[in-house]
Amino acid sequence: MNTMLSRFIPCGAYAKFAFKPMRGCHSVYCTYCLPFIVLLCCVILGGCTEKDEFEQDQVGNFEALWTIMDQHYAFFDYKGVDWNEVHQRYRARVSNEMTDRELFDICGDMLKELRDGHTNLIASHDVSRYWIWEQWPVNYDERIIDQYYLNFDYKRASGIKYQILPSNFGYMYYGSFSSGIGEGNLDLILSYLSTADGLIIDVRDNGGGLLTNVEKLVSRFIDERTLAGYICHKTGPGHADVSEPYPYYFGPTPNHIHYLKPVVVLASRGSFSATNNFVSIMKSLDQVTIVGDTTGGGCGLPFTSELPNGWRVRFSSCPILDTQGKLTEFGVAPDVRVDMDLDDRSHDAILDRAIDILTTATRP
Amino acid sequence: MLSRFIPSRENANFANFTNCSFLKFAELVRFVKFALKKERGCHCAYCLLICSLLCSLSAVGQERVSMFTIDAGYASVHDSYLTPITYGGMDLALGYEALRSASNDKWFWQVQVGADYNYVENKAKNNELHKLMGDITFGMQRQWRQLIAHRIDVSVGPMTQLRAGIVYNEVNSNNPVSLRAQWNVGAAAMLSMPTRLGRLPLTLRYQMQLPAAGIFFAPEYDESYYEIYLGNHKNLAHLGWWGNRFDMTNYVGADLHLGKTTLRIGYRSRLEHWTVNHLKVHDVTHSIVLGIGH
Repeated sequence: MNTMLSRFIPCGAYAKFAFKPMRGCHSVYCTYCLPFIVLLCCVILGGCTEKDEFEQDQVGNFEALWTIMDQHYAFFDYKGVDWNEVHQRYRARVSNEMTDRELFDICGDMLKELRDGHTNLIASHDVSRYWIWEQWPVNYDERIIDQYYLNFDYKRASGIKYQILPSNFGYMYYGSFSSGIGEGNLDLILSYLSTADGLIIDVRDNGGGLLTNVEKLVSRFIDERTLAGYICHKTGPGHADVSEPYPYYFGPTPNHIHYLKPVVVLASRGSFSATNNFVSIMKSLDQVTIVGDTTGGGCGLPFTSELPNGWRVRFSSCPILDTQGKLTEFGVAPDVRVDMDLDDRSHDAILDRAIDILTTATRP
Repeated sequence: MLSRFIPSRENANFANFTNCSFLKFAELVRFVKFALKKERGCHCAYCLLICSLLCSLSAVGQERVSMFTIDAGYASVHDSYLTPITYGGMDLALGYEALRSASNDKWFWQVQVGADYNYVENKAKNNELHKLMGDITFGMQRQWRQLIAHRIDVSVGPMTQLRAGIVYNEVNSNNPVSLRAQWNVGAAAMLSMPTRLGRLPLTLRYQMQLPAAGIFFAPEYDESYYEIYLGNHKNLAHLGWWGNRFDMTNYVGADLHLGKTTLRIGYRSRLEHWTVNHLKVHDVTHSIVLGIGH
């Protein structure tokens, strides 16, 4: 507008504007400078950046970590953790003179008070963790299955290892829900296994991954819209600020192959996070039996935040409940509890039990 | 006011041009309806509809200023859904601005389309955020010539803005992105003063856009996008007003007129601030503006 205005202003008028005699410094100031000084102040005031809440030193980083957890962690009440008391104990050990590694160890110990496998402090030199499954029986040995059950002859697609066992039961091992599953791949896998009398889905030692892959897999074992559980989230910084559980449902994948024969899911303590979610949903299905050990838990969808020094912290923020409306933070109990025999290196007692269960279910 | 400087023949052409544009617009609408009926190219049809709407809006009135700009400068991004840390870095933006006189010579239309990208780092320099936003602003302003000190033109009027985009954090687990979407109505104002730089005509200009109310998107405090994907759409749209949201864009610059070409140099700052659901966003940019147009 201004561009064209000046273009269309007659030369005489323009000259009158441009070369109008001034009436002293005061007039010059008012006419030319004052408006733009005021406007410049407005511009600068409108552009103030946000100041971070915590200092960059060791104490500041500790306080930032404690505050982030205090405001965002979802299971304080469920686990009965007095976070203020934890602050008192650990704050006394922190000073600005300590090294980064010393601070990291203290912060890591503080996070372990939460007994949560989803809670980690991540720095360039280390990752703090509370992986309780490291202390429990592994209950899975890939070599035993490959050698004595599959005879090293198996198919593999979308991160899923599969084959029909000599007992005519299908076997599929899914080692990580981070491995993408294609619908077409699943069709081919289930099509291949469709002649089997039953199916064993092995998710032992599966540390989790994407919940969308849980939905993809579960959707092949249902024939109607099915309640999968409830999800909620923190609604504010208070420990009790949690939303009402929202029910969520999975439906069968239209125009794709489904498997509705008896199914056994093998689980272990290493079945964590998304796998824990998968097991809890499968357990609610009528044709499914869970065999093995209690899962590793981890029912809180983890969020990530960070400290002023660049360390990242991951924590459970959105609790996911099972179909009964219960938290499975400490795991999903199996229908049939079995441990592997560590002295028998040629048999998988959990898989053997799964075969027995399917045999009983399909060949009475 | 503007038409005072437009010869009568141009006024006649202006009327023809406007009618012609609306005819073209009507043809476009017919084409879109046809595409929708035939259930083919639906997405293309929607795009065409939006484009044609924009074309028709920008065709209302005689073209006065048409300017392409590039902004480069500093950006500060604070989004507590992603991180409590304020990130700082580079701002880069492309924009187009058109000013056109309305049929009433005291009013003019303003259309702005822009896209801006921020690449910002945390203070520890070990993580980055990428922010990509696009916006369309449409306004109409009433102009008073030589209102201040017999030299400075003042114009004020309503504006509406649609702005949307995404902020992406490379390392976050289930909160990797923060979606931004907002529609605002508010006021825009402009001060302009013609002067000279040597023999060349120069226009100094200050412009401000101040949205006052609108609707914007924000998830709840720690609500995951996965939960939204599962179907929980409660409490996602918020009524924005100055109690929970404040946006302001300021521009100060000069247009140097070289024959039919105009070069622009200036400074632009943009503040975007909101607090809702205990979440806080506070983004600021300070940029140098370079532009060319006529």
